[in-house]
Amino acid sequence: MKSKVFHYLNFVFILLVLIVICVAEEVVVSSSLSAVQNYCFKIEELLKDFDSLKNMDIVMAVDNLEYEWFEDEMNLCYMVNHKSIQEIGQEIVRLKTYIAEDEITEFKVSLQEIENYCNSYLHFMGANIHNVL
Amino acid sequence: MLTIIIRSILIYVIVLFVFRVMGKRQLGQMQPFELVLTLIIADLATIPMAEVSVPVLHGVVPLLTLVVLHFLLTWLTKISQRISKIISGKPVIVVNPKGIDFEAMKKLNLSIDDLFAALRENGYFSIAQIQYAIMETNGKISIMPKAQSAPVTNGDMKIKCDDSFIPIILINEGKIMKDNCALAGINEQELSTIAKKQNCEKLKDVLILSVDQSGEGYIQIQGGEGQSFKTKRLVSDEK
Repeated sequence: MKSKVFHYLNFVFILLVLIVICVAEEVVVSSSLSAVQNYCFKIEELLKDFDSLKNMDIVMAVDNLEYEWFEDEMNLCYMVNHKSIQEIGQEIVRLKTYIAEDEITEFKVSLQEIENYCNSYLHFMGANIHNVL
Repeated sequence: MLTIIIRSILIYVIVLFVFRVMGKRQLGQMQPFELVLTLIIADLATIPMAEVSVPVLHGVVPLLTLVVLHFLLTWLTKISQRISKIISGKPVIVVNPKGIDFEAMKKLNLSIDDLFAALRENGYFSIAQIQYAIMETNGKISIMPKAQSAPVTNGDMKIKCDDSFIPIILINEGKIMKDNCALAGINEQELSTIAKKQNCEKLKDVLILSVDQSGEGYIQIQGGEGQSFKTKRLVSDEK
Protein backbone atom coordinates (compact mmCIF):
# COMPACT_ATOMS: atom_id res chain seq x y z
CA MET A 1 0.00 0.00 0.00
CA LYS A 2 2.84 2.35 0.98
CA SER A 3 4.72 1.68 -2.24
CA LYS A 4 1.53 2.22 -4.26
CA VAL A 5 1.04 5.62 -2.64
CA PHE A 6 4.72 6.42 -3.27
CA HIS A 7 4.24 5.34 -6.88
CA TYR A 8 1.28 7.67 -7.39
CA LEU A 9 3.02 10.49 -5.54
CA ASN A 10 5.97 10.12 -7.90
CA PHE A 11 3.62 10.28 -10.84
CA VAL A 12 1.87 13.41 -9.55
CA PHE A 13 5.19 15.02 -8.62
CA ILE A 14 6.69 14.43 -12.07
CA LEU A 15 3.53 15.67 -13.74
CA LEU A 16 3.63 18.83 -11.63
CA VAL A 17 7.31 19.36 -12.42
CA LEU A 18 6.55 19.10 -16.14
CA ILE A 19 3.68 21.56 -15.87
CA VAL A 20 5.81 24.02 -13.88
CA ILE A 21 8.65 23.77 -16.42
CA CYS A 22 6.28 24.36 -19.36
CA VAL A 23 4.61 27.35 -17.72
CA ALA A 24 7.94 28.80 -16.55
CA GLU A 25 9.37 28.51 -20.06
CA GLU A 26 6.37 30.24 -21.58
CA VAL A 27 6.45 33.05 -19.01
CA VAL A 28 10.22 33.61 -18.90
CA VAL A 29 10.81 33.45 -22.66
CA SER A 30 7.89 35.63 -23.66
CA SER A 31 8.53 38.24 -20.95
CA SER A 32 12.26 38.41 -21.75
CA LEU A 33 11.76 38.74 -25.49
CA SER A 34 8.93 41.24 -25.05
CA ALA A 35 11.17 43.31 -22.79
CA VAL A 36 13.90 43.31 -25.45
CA GLN A 37 11.37 44.34 -28.09
CA ASN A 38 10.14 47.19 -25.89
CA TYR A 39 13.69 48.44 -25.41
CA CYS A 40 14.18 48.36 -29.17
CA PHE A 41 10.97 50.32 -29.71
CA LYS A 42 12.15 52.93 -27.20
CA ILE A 43 15.51 53.24 -28.97
CA GLU A 44 13.69 53.65 -32.29
CA GLU A 45 11.63 56.47 -30.78
CA LEU A 46 14.82 58.12 -29.56
CA LEU A 47 16.36 57.84 -33.02
CA LYS A 48 13.56 60.00 -34.39
CA ASP A 49 14.72 62.88 -32.17
CA PHE A 50 18.44 62.69 -32.95
CA ASP A 51 20.47 62.76 -36.16
CA SER A 52 23.56 61.28 -34.56
CA LEU A 53 24.05 58.15 -32.44
CA LYS A 54 26.63 59.86 -30.29
CA ASN A 55 24.37 61.21 -27.57
CA MET A 56 23.86 60.13 -23.98
CA ASP A 57 20.20 59.08 -24.33
CA ILE A 58 20.87 56.51 -27.04
CA VAL A 59 24.05 55.26 -25.39
CA MET A 60 22.18 54.84 -22.10
CA ALA A 61 19.26 53.11 -23.81
CA VAL A 62 21.56 50.61 -25.56
CA ASP A 63 23.44 50.04 -22.30
CA ASN A 64 20.14 49.34 -20.56
CA LEU A 65 19.14 46.98 -23.34
CA GLU A 66 22.47 45.18 -23.05
CA TYR A 67 22.23 44.90 -19.26
CA GLU A 68 18.64 43.66 -19.32
CA TRP A 69 19.38 41.15 -22.05
CA PHE A 70 22.42 39.68 -20.34
CA GLU A 71 20.38 39.33 -17.15
CA ASP A 72 17.52 37.62 -19.02
CA GLU A 73 19.84 35.51 -21.15
CA MET A 74 21.19 33.80 -18.06
CA ASN A 75 17.67 32.73 -17.07
CA LEU A 76 16.76 31.78 -20.62
CA CYS A 77 19.80 29.50 -20.87
CA TYR A 78 18.15 27.17 -18.33
CA MET A 79 15.36 26.38 -20.78
CA VAL A 80 16.34 27.47 -24.28
CA ASN A 81 19.20 26.24 -26.44
CA HIS A 82 21.90 28.88 -26.03
CA LYS A 83 22.68 28.83 -29.77
CA SER A 84 19.09 29.83 -30.55
CA ILE A 85 19.27 33.08 -28.60
CA GLN A 86 22.90 34.14 -28.93
CA GLU A 87 22.04 36.17 -32.05
CA ILE A 88 20.33 38.85 -29.93
CA GLY A 89 23.47 39.30 -27.83
CA GLN A 90 25.61 39.53 -30.96
CA GLU A 91 23.33 42.22 -32.46
CA ILE A 92 23.44 44.23 -29.22
CA VAL A 93 27.25 44.18 -29.35
CA ARG A 94 27.02 45.40 -32.97
CA LEU A 95 24.73 48.26 -31.85
CA LYS A 96 27.49 49.49 -29.56
CA THR A 97 30.02 49.32 -32.38
CA TYR A 98 27.72 51.32 -34.65
CA ILE A 99 27.36 53.98 -31.94
CA ALA A 100 31.14 54.32 -31.79
CA GLU A 101 31.29 54.62 -35.59
CA ASP A 102 28.06 56.68 -35.73
CA GLU A 103 26.59 54.46 -38.46
CA ILE A 104 22.92 55.20 -38.05
CA THR A 105 21.69 53.11 -41.01
CA GLU A 106 23.50 49.98 -39.83
CA PHE A 107 22.29 50.71 -36.31
CA LYS A 108 18.68 50.77 -37.47
CA VAL A 109 19.16 47.51 -39.39
CA SER A 110 20.58 45.81 -36.31
CA LEU A 111 17.73 47.11 -34.19
CA GLN A 112 15.28 45.77 -36.75
CA GLU A 113 17.12 42.42 -36.72
CA ILE A 114 16.62 42.14 -32.96
CA GLU A 115 12.93 43.01 -33.22
CA ASN A 116 12.39 40.52 -36.02
CA TYR A 117 14.30 37.86 -34.18
CA CYS A 118 12.21 38.33 -31.03
CA ASN A 119 9.04 38.32 -33.11
CA SER A 120 9.91 35.14 -34.95
CA TYR A 121 11.05 33.39 -31.76
CA LEU A 122 7.83 34.32 -29.95
CA HIS A 123 5.92 33.01 -32.95
CA PHE A 124 8.00 29.83 -33.07
CA MET A 125 7.61 29.21 -29.34
CA GLY A 126 4.69 27.34 -27.81
CA ALA A 127 2.80 24.18 -28.64
CA ASN A 128 1.13 24.33 -32.03
CA ILE A 129 0.72 21.81 -34.79
CA HIS A 130 3.53 23.33 -36.88
CA ASN A 131 6.03 23.09 -34.04
CA VAL A 132 4.92 19.60 -33.08
CA LEU A 133 5.25 18.25 -36.59
CA MET B 1 35.22 20.43 -19.40
CA LEU B 2 34.16 20.75 -15.75
CA THR B 3 30.71 21.75 -17.00
CA ILE B 4 30.45 18.51 -18.98
CA ILE B 5 31.51 16.49 -15.92
CA ILE B 6 28.93 18.19 -13.70
CA ARG B 7 26.22 17.83 -16.35
CA SER B 8 27.08 14.15 -16.81
CA ILE B 9 26.76 13.53 -13.05
CA LEU B 10 23.49 15.44 -12.93
CA ILE B 11 21.98 13.56 -15.87
CA TYR B 12 23.26 10.24 -14.55
CA VAL B 13 21.44 10.90 -11.25
CA ILE B 14 18.27 11.87 -13.11
CA VAL B 15 18.39 8.77 -15.36
CA LEU B 16 18.99 6.64 -12.27
CA PHE B 17 15.92 8.24 -10.65
CA VAL B 18 13.90 7.65 -13.81
CA PHE B 19 14.82 3.96 -13.93
CA ARG B 20 14.19 3.63 -10.20
CA VAL B 21 10.73 5.14 -10.61
CA MET B 22 9.99 2.92 -13.59
CA GLY B 23 10.67 -0.17 -11.47
CA LYS B 24 13.15 -3.01 -11.45
CA ARG B 25 13.12 -4.99 -14.66
CA GLN B 26 15.88 -6.85 -16.39
CA LEU B 27 16.34 -6.33 -20.10
CA GLY B 28 14.99 -9.77 -20.91
CA GLN B 29 11.90 -9.27 -18.76
CA MET B 30 10.79 -6.05 -20.41
CA GLN B 31 7.59 -5.66 -22.29
CA PRO B 32 8.02 -4.18 -25.79
CA PHE B 33 6.95 -0.68 -24.71
CA GLU B 34 9.36 -0.78 -21.76
CA LEU B 35 12.23 -1.75 -24.03
CA VAL B 36 11.40 1.11 -26.41
CA LEU B 37 11.31 3.57 -23.49
CA THR B 38 14.64 2.31 -22.18
CA LEU B 39 16.32 2.73 -25.55
CA ILE B 40 14.92 6.24 -26.01
CA ILE B 41 15.96 7.24 -22.47
CA ALA B 42 19.51 6.04 -23.10
CA ASP B 43 19.66 8.10 -26.28
CA LEU B 44 18.07 11.21 -24.78
CA ALA B 45 20.43 11.31 -21.85
CA THR B 46 23.51 11.66 -24.03
CA ILE B 47 22.40 14.83 -25.86
CA PRO B 48 22.60 17.40 -23.02
CA MET B 49 25.57 15.55 -21.54
CA ALA B 50 27.92 16.37 -24.40
CA GLU B 51 26.29 19.48 -25.91
CA VAL B 52 26.85 22.34 -23.46
CA SER B 53 24.63 24.80 -25.37
CA VAL B 54 21.64 22.50 -24.86
CA PRO B 55 20.04 23.12 -21.45
CA VAL B 56 19.86 20.12 -19.11
CA LEU B 57 16.11 20.67 -19.04
CA HIS B 58 15.96 19.70 -22.73
CA GLY B 59 17.14 16.26 -21.65
CA VAL B 60 15.18 16.10 -18.41
CA VAL B 61 11.78 17.11 -19.79
CA PRO B 62 11.60 14.30 -22.38
CA LEU B 63 12.86 11.85 -19.74
CA LEU B 64 10.14 12.86 -17.30
CA THR B 65 7.55 12.84 -20.08
CA LEU B 66 8.53 9.27 -20.87
CA VAL B 67 8.19 8.33 -17.21
CA VAL B 68 4.68 9.78 -17.18
CA LEU B 69 3.91 7.90 -20.39
CA HIS B 70 5.27 4.74 -18.83
CA PHE B 71 3.05 5.21 -15.79
CA LEU B 72 0.03 5.69 -18.02
CA LEU B 73 0.79 2.69 -20.23
CA THR B 74 1.43 0.46 -17.21
CA TRP B 75 -1.80 1.64 -15.64
CA LEU B 76 -3.74 1.08 -18.88
CA THR B 77 -2.33 -2.43 -19.30
CA LYS B 78 -3.38 -3.18 -15.71
CA ILE B 79 -6.95 -1.95 -16.04
CA SER B 80 -7.74 -3.34 -19.48
CA GLN B 81 -6.88 -6.75 -20.91
CA ARG B 82 -7.63 -5.49 -24.41
CA ILE B 83 -5.21 -2.57 -24.12
CA SER B 84 -2.66 -4.90 -22.55
CA LYS B 85 -2.94 -7.20 -25.58
CA ILE B 86 -2.54 -4.27 -27.98
CA ILE B 87 0.48 -2.81 -26.17
CA SER B 88 2.27 -5.89 -24.89
CA GLY B 89 0.82 -8.64 -27.11
CA LYS B 90 -0.25 -11.97 -25.68
CA PRO B 91 1.56 -15.24 -25.02
CA VAL B 92 1.48 -17.57 -28.03
CA ILE B 93 1.70 -21.37 -27.93
CA VAL B 94 4.38 -22.38 -30.43
CA VAL B 95 4.62 -26.07 -29.47
CA ASN B 96 1.59 -28.08 -28.45
CA PRO B 97 1.06 -31.83 -27.96
CA LYS B 98 0.51 -32.18 -31.74
CA GLY B 99 3.93 -30.67 -32.45
CA ILE B 100 5.27 -27.34 -33.66
CA ASP B 101 2.67 -24.73 -34.61
CA PHE B 102 4.51 -23.35 -37.61
CA GLU B 103 1.78 -20.85 -38.48
CA ALA B 104 2.09 -19.28 -35.01
CA MET B 105 5.87 -19.24 -35.39
CA LYS B 106 5.65 -17.50 -38.75
CA LYS B 107 3.44 -14.79 -37.22
CA LEU B 108 6.03 -14.29 -34.48
CA ASN B 109 8.88 -14.26 -37.01
CA LEU B 110 10.42 -17.11 -35.03
CA SER B 111 12.58 -19.69 -36.76
CA ILE B 112 12.98 -23.36 -35.89
CA ASP B 113 16.58 -22.56 -34.93
CA ASP B 114 15.36 -19.92 -32.44
CA LEU B 115 12.90 -22.40 -30.99
CA PHE B 116 15.56 -25.09 -30.58
CA ALA B 117 17.96 -22.60 -29.03
CA ALA B 118 15.27 -21.73 -26.47
CA LEU B 119 14.66 -25.43 -25.79
CA ARG B 120 18.38 -26.05 -25.26
CA GLU B 121 18.58 -23.04 -22.91
CA ASN B 122 15.90 -24.74 -20.82
CA GLY B 123 17.77 -28.03 -20.83
CA TYR B 124 15.80 -29.91 -23.49
CA PHE B 125 17.43 -31.11 -26.66
CA SER B 126 14.54 -32.80 -28.43
CA ILE B 127 11.14 -31.48 -29.40
CA ALA B 128 9.76 -34.90 -28.43
CA GLN B 129 10.39 -33.98 -24.77
CA ILE B 130 8.12 -30.93 -24.97
CA GLN B 131 4.42 -30.79 -24.18
CA TYR B 132 4.02 -27.03 -24.60
CA ALA B 133 6.30 -24.15 -25.49
CA ILE B 134 4.89 -20.68 -25.05
CA MET B 135 6.34 -17.49 -26.44
CA GLU B 136 5.87 -14.92 -23.66
CA THR B 137 5.17 -11.23 -24.25
CA ASN B 138 8.70 -10.34 -23.12
CA GLY B 139 10.19 -12.54 -25.86
CA LYS B 140 11.17 -15.46 -23.65
CA ILE B 141 10.00 -19.00 -24.36
CA SER B 142 8.51 -20.93 -21.44
CA ILE B 143 8.60 -24.69 -21.69
CA MET B 144 6.44 -27.37 -20.16
CA PRO B 145 8.05 -30.78 -20.69
CA LYS B 146 6.16 -34.03 -21.20
CA ALA B 147 5.62 -35.95 -17.97
CA GLN B 148 8.30 -38.53 -18.79
CA SER B 149 10.88 -35.77 -19.42
CA ALA B 150 10.02 -33.57 -16.45
CA PRO B 151 12.50 -33.49 -13.56
CA VAL B 152 11.54 -35.67 -10.59
CA THR B 153 10.37 -33.72 -7.56
CA ASN B 154 10.14 -34.70 -3.90
CA GLY B 155 6.38 -34.75 -4.39
CA ASP B 156 6.68 -37.30 -7.21
CA MET B 157 8.83 -39.51 -4.98
CA LYS B 158 6.45 -38.95 -2.05
CA ILE B 159 9.40 -37.82 0.09
CA LYS B 160 8.41 -35.77 3.11
CA CYS B 161 10.65 -32.79 3.65
CA ASP B 162 10.61 -29.67 5.77
CA ASP B 163 9.75 -26.32 4.30
CA SER B 164 12.80 -24.43 3.23
CA PHE B 165 13.48 -20.95 4.54
CA ILE B 166 15.29 -18.01 3.08
CA PRO B 167 18.52 -17.36 4.98
CA ILE B 168 18.86 -13.84 6.34
CA ILE B 169 22.34 -12.35 6.03
CA LEU B 170 23.30 -10.85 9.41
CA ILE B 171 26.95 -10.04 8.72
CA ASN B 172 28.21 -9.24 5.26
CA GLU B 173 31.98 -8.74 4.85
CA GLY B 174 32.32 -7.71 8.50
CA LYS B 175 29.39 -5.29 8.36
CA ILE B 176 26.41 -5.95 10.62
CA MET B 177 23.16 -5.75 8.65
CA LYS B 178 21.11 -3.96 11.28
CA ASP B 179 17.77 -4.21 9.45
CA ASN B 180 18.22 -7.95 8.97
CA CYS B 181 19.25 -8.40 12.62
CA ALA B 182 16.08 -6.61 13.70
CA LEU B 183 14.05 -8.82 11.38
CA ALA B 184 15.73 -11.91 12.82
CA GLY B 185 15.42 -10.67 16.39
CA ILE B 186 19.13 -11.06 17.03
CA ASN B 187 21.21 -8.36 18.67
CA GLU B 188 24.91 -7.62 18.36
CA GLN B 189 25.76 -9.45 21.59
CA GLU B 190 24.11 -12.62 20.34
CA LEU B 191 25.99 -12.28 17.07
CA SER B 192 29.25 -12.05 19.02
CA THR B 193 28.31 -15.19 20.95
CA ILE B 194 27.62 -17.05 17.70
CA ALA B 195 30.89 -15.82 16.21
CA LYS B 196 32.88 -16.76 19.33
CA LYS B 197 31.45 -20.27 19.21
CA GLN B 198 32.91 -20.50 15.74
CA ASN B 199 36.29 -19.29 17.06
CA CYS B 200 35.94 -15.73 15.79
CA GLU B 201 36.70 -12.99 18.30
CA LYS B 202 35.80 -9.94 16.22
CA LEU B 203 32.64 -9.52 14.16
CA LYS B 204 34.70 -7.52 11.66
CA ASP B 205 36.52 -10.73 10.76
CA VAL B 206 33.32 -12.50 9.71
CA LEU B 207 32.99 -12.76 5.95
CA ILE B 208 29.39 -13.92 6.05
CA LEU B 209 26.94 -14.98 8.72
CA SER B 210 23.41 -16.01 7.85
CA VAL B 211 20.55 -17.65 9.72
CA ASP B 212 17.20 -18.95 8.51
CA GLN B 213 13.89 -19.26 10.32
CA SER B 214 14.60 -22.82 11.42
CA GLY B 215 17.75 -21.62 13.19
CA GLU B 216 20.11 -23.17 10.67
CA GLY B 217 23.05 -20.88 10.18
CA TYR B 218 26.17 -20.52 8.10
CA ILE B 219 29.31 -18.67 9.03
CA GLN B 220 32.58 -18.09 7.25
CA ILE B 221 35.49 -16.22 8.79
CA GLN B 222 37.68 -14.19 6.43
CA GLY B 223 40.45 -16.44 5.21
CA GLY B 224 38.76 -19.47 6.77
CA GLU B 225 36.37 -22.18 5.69
CA GLY B 226 32.63 -21.89 5.86
CA GLN B 227 30.70 -23.99 8.37
CA SER B 228 27.09 -24.57 9.27
CA PHE B 229 25.77 -24.15 12.79
CA LYS B 230 22.51 -24.35 14.61
CA THR B 231 21.17 -21.60 16.84
CA LYS B 232 18.61 -22.21 19.54
CA ARG B 233 16.71 -19.11 18.63
CA LEU B 234 14.24 -19.32 15.83
CA VAL B 235 14.14 -16.31 13.60
CA SER B 236 10.96 -14.27 13.88
CA ASP B 237 8.42 -14.67 11.11
CA GLU B 238 7.27 -11.05 10.89
CA LYS B 239 7.86 -10.37 7.19
